[in-house]
Amino acid sequence: MNKKSEVEIDQKKLQDLITHYNQERWPLIPLLQKIQDEFGYIFPSSIPLIARRLKLHPSEVQGVISFYAQLYTEPRGRKTVRVCRGTACHVRGGKTILKQTKEHLGIDEGETTDDLEYTLETVACIGVCALAPTIVIGHQVYGNLNPQKLGQLFKRNGG
Amino acid sequence: MLVTITIDQREVSGHAGMTILELARESGINIPTICEHPQLTPLGGCRICLVENEQTGVLLASCVTPIAPGMIINTVSDRVLEHRKMILKLMLASHPDSCLVCDKGNNCQLRQLAADLGIGLVELDRIPQPAIVEELNPFILRDMSKCILCARCIRACRELVVEGVLDYFGRGFKTKPATLYDFPLENSECTFCGACVALCPTGALTEKEEMYRGATGHAVETICPYCSCGCHISLEIKDNMVVRVKPSVDNADSRLEALCVKGSYGLDFIHSPDRLTKPLIKKGEHFEEATWEEALNVTAGALKQIKTEHGSASLAVFGSVNCTNEENYLLQRFARGVLGTNNIDNGSSLEHAATRRVIKNSLGFPGINYSFTDLEQADLILVVGADPKTSAPLVNYLLKRAVKFYGAKLILIDPRKTELFYLTDHWLQPKIGTDFVLLNSLAKIIIAENWIDHEFVARKTENYAALAKSLENLSLSQVEAVTGIAEEQMHLIARLYATAGKAAIVFGTGITQQARGKENVRALLNLALLTGNIWRKGGGLHLLQKECNAQGACDMGTLPTFLPGYQPIDDPHARAVFAECWQVEPPAKPGLTASETIFQAKAGIIKGLYITGENPLASFPHSALVKEALESLDFLVVQDLFLTETARQAKVVLPAASFAEKEGTFTNLEGKVQKIRQAIKPLGQSRPDWQIILQLAAALGHPMPFTSLEEVKEEMSELILFYENYANEKDVEEKEFWETGTTHRLPLRKFPGFSPAEYSTLPVETDDEFPLTLLTENTSFHFGSGSRSSRSSRLSKFDSSFLVRINEVDAQKMGLFTGEQVRVISAVGQLPATVEITDVVPEGVVLLPRSRPDRPAIGLFSLYPANEGKIPTAKTCHVRIERSLGHE
Repeated sequence: MNKKSEVEIDQKKLQDLITHYNQERWPLIPLLQKIQDEFGYIFPSSIPLIARRLKLHPSEVQGVISFYAQLYTEPRGRKTVRVCRGTACHVRGGKTILKQTKEHLGIDEGETTDDLEYTLETVACIGVCALAPTIVIGHQVYGNLNPQKLGQLFKRNGG
Repeated sequence: MLVTITIDQREVSGHAGMTILELARESGINIPTICEHPQLTPLGGCRICLVENEQTGVLLASCVTPIAPGMIINTVSDRVLEHRKMILKLMLASHPDSCLVCDKGNNCQLRQLAADLGIGLVELDRIPQPAIVEELNPFILRDMSKCILCARCIRACRELVVEGVLDYFGRGFKTKPATLYDFPLENSECTFCGACVALCPTGALTEKEEMYRGATGHAVETICPYCSCGCHISLEIKDNMVVRVKPSVDNADSRLEALCVKGSYGLDFIHSPDRLTKPLIKKGEHFEEATWEEALNVTAGALKQIKTEHGSASLAVFGSVNCTNEENYLLQRFARGVLGTNNIDNGSSLEHAATRRVIKNSLGFPGINYSFTDLEQADLILVVGADPKTSAPLVNYLLKRAVKFYGAKLILIDPRKTELFYLTDHWLQPKIGTDFVLLNSLAKIIIAENWIDHEFVARKTENYAALAKSLENLSLSQVEAVTGIAEEQMHLIARLYATAGKAAIVFGTGITQQARGKENVRALLNLALLTGNIWRKGGGLHLLQKECNAQGACDMGTLPTFLPGYQPIDDPHARAVFAECWQVEPPAKPGLTASETIFQAKAGIIKGLYITGENPLASFPHSALVKEALESLDFLVVQDLFLTETARQAKVVLPAASFAEKEGTFTNLEGKVQKIRQAIKPLGQSRPDWQIILQLAAALGHPMPFTSLEEVKEEMSELILFYENYANEKDVEEKEFWETGTTHRLPLRKFPGFSPAEYSTLPVETDDEFPLTLLTENTSFHFGSGSRSSRSSRLSKFDSSFLVRINEVDAQKMGLFTGEQVRVISAVGQLPATVEITDVVPEGVVLLPRSRPDRPAIGLFSLYPANEGKIPTAKTCHVRIERSLGHE
């Protein structure tokens, strides 16, 4: 079964969120954020509904969503895995950590696992270079990584 | 307030709020631009228009920077030029060097600017770009590698035609203009109006499947021959071919630089292989090519014989709403002066004859023409029984702009959920045929609540008491039952309309063509008069006529009861004026309307018929009866561009030249007389209609005293109201000629009067055999009866469907699914169609497209006139739907 389908979207909840705002331009971003908070992402079929409510063109709403990195039109994993690609991590083998993380999760950068558990991203630096190489899973930071540790990490996290 | 600044060492002044660019242009200083366009909001996106503020050293985008007192601006300093060049180089670094093979050729602004700034091939590293978007539509080609992200297409789509199909998608290097979900244009809301293509400065958006490619030698300004908006177009010509069509630009004018799909891509019918190039004479069952002399002699001989044997009253003429004013004038003079009959009518009388009569009674003159650009000043627009999206796209753009950008309120009264629904706050869906009851109730509420413009009513109108009295007995609760509209809703709409200030009404065939069309129009006029919206700029009434010269043909008197300028045919004074000029008196007896002519032809009373540019077999109700009538004629001569369904019935077919091959004028729905110009030589042996009419008159032994079109114009300007000055174009500038067209034709001779309201509805006919009500509609991609649009290769390629649209409830009752083949059957005919289930129509109503000459939906209607206007009720008819068995 494709878990990324929109079948499970609660249309009523969506309507409630949308009808809260009315016919103005300014609430677009707050509304998009609310929808994302509620459903985890802004599913594409909601765009025309949002546009109609705020008297915008659907293409305009899509334009705003596609501009902001914080807004997603695809489902996100419950946890975001951020692999550090900063200089310190790089010299300590960050590149390999990224490669192996991809292998463990079976996804590429920017993608989400089919079970909607993980979304993989890279970051430039997380500020704990002393622990390099590092990754962040959800809100938890893991440092001094090596391939064995990484493997255990994902085993523990069910990856 | 004047603000003085210095630009390039010159002191110049402008008013506060002006941009540096505007002031520089006004002062004759040229600053190059790309993303800037006079009809679009400034964006400051391309940065080509950089200038330097000498005091601060800041580089400013002049198109978005307002002037400030004391500014010292340099537009050509070394620094400005250096940066401008670098910006252009960066654009070129992400643009292919394919100029040699690019269709935009010398019209590319990017290339032009590179040449002006002396930039050749760029040494910068290339930025890889996405390639051509492969799409199925035959109109627009998108090559995103050539896009420079100036957003002209985005703004054109959003601001000019208010579709908003495109917007930026993505960020940074990935940004591109895209549709929703980045779908191909044909799967988006795109109407293919071509506004984006016309404004694209590079080769990113170009026309697809053109007849001919490459740069053209010259362009000719003329008028689009489809709908009655009368858009100004520019035909690009090469080797006697119309290669490309663009909106004609005139910066001094407020005309929108946008056409519709028919204007942009549908004029290729001019070069259709179906064009008639030689006269045809029917010998036995088949046509044979003939010389002009032969064809004219056969025609003249036959008409003369019928006239001698059966009298003038056995001859009739149909004028054309697609021919010029001059041609229609000559045609009615031919009918009245040469043939000696008033049996002349044009196709638009099927739609608007009753309307004209009512307007004449109320306003004293049977035309009502407001400049539709005034719509943008309206506070409220009431759209009744009209879908300007398909019937008058330019009006649609202006209307949407009024709502979206100028804050007008929109109220929609229509059984169909037209696209305007998405912009409106209030949609009333009265039961079919009850519009006038609803409208009269609005009048009653306005009177009861004292929302009348008292001063206007007292000083400038007549007959108010009669209206007030006639409304006394109207019971709103009954109206609620009859129309299905709640009383409080009526109250709300009445208040909004009456208290809006400048309230405009847009109405169309949706109400004029009903059985009670007259009452509908009367009720609308009463509303406008009550609220003083007749003389108010931004208010008024806009009647959406169909064809390009529907207004002109009627002005010219191709009508059975009116001489040119709506002089009544039974007025001896009027006849005397024309008799003096023509040296022959027009007959006094009113002639037959088009539908009466058909009946009389079938009855054997009309024996000879001369049709120019009409296709009654596809555009008249009850095609089977029309066919019988045409077959009963002794002689039928048809003058047309194509061998239409009607022309096939003729004895003689005369090949006419298209609008691009002749001179003349069209009068648009605003009443503006606009000039069409010859762009190419007539194809084959085809001739302009006016020449054919003159030659035919000569062949009949009654030559008309004209050797040129100028002489015809002079006679017209002497005889026809509102055309007084139109022939004197020699002395006026070209542009002035466009503008001298009379735009506000309003009665000057008497006060407009109220008409007593009528509100008894016709008994609801329920018919078990035909339980559904059929409506016909225009589609965006075809026009009129479709004679021309179906011969435009791109239009017919894109839209060849014939869908019967039906409400879900009805579909369920009949067990029908979208895509199923059915037959739509009325009392007088049947047509095969494909089912589409939709929420556009209410339960009990089905919708067929009008413009398929091979499947004339209108042919299902009855031709029997149901009202005083003697026009058939070609808007509604009762049908049933049956599933097709096997292949049809």
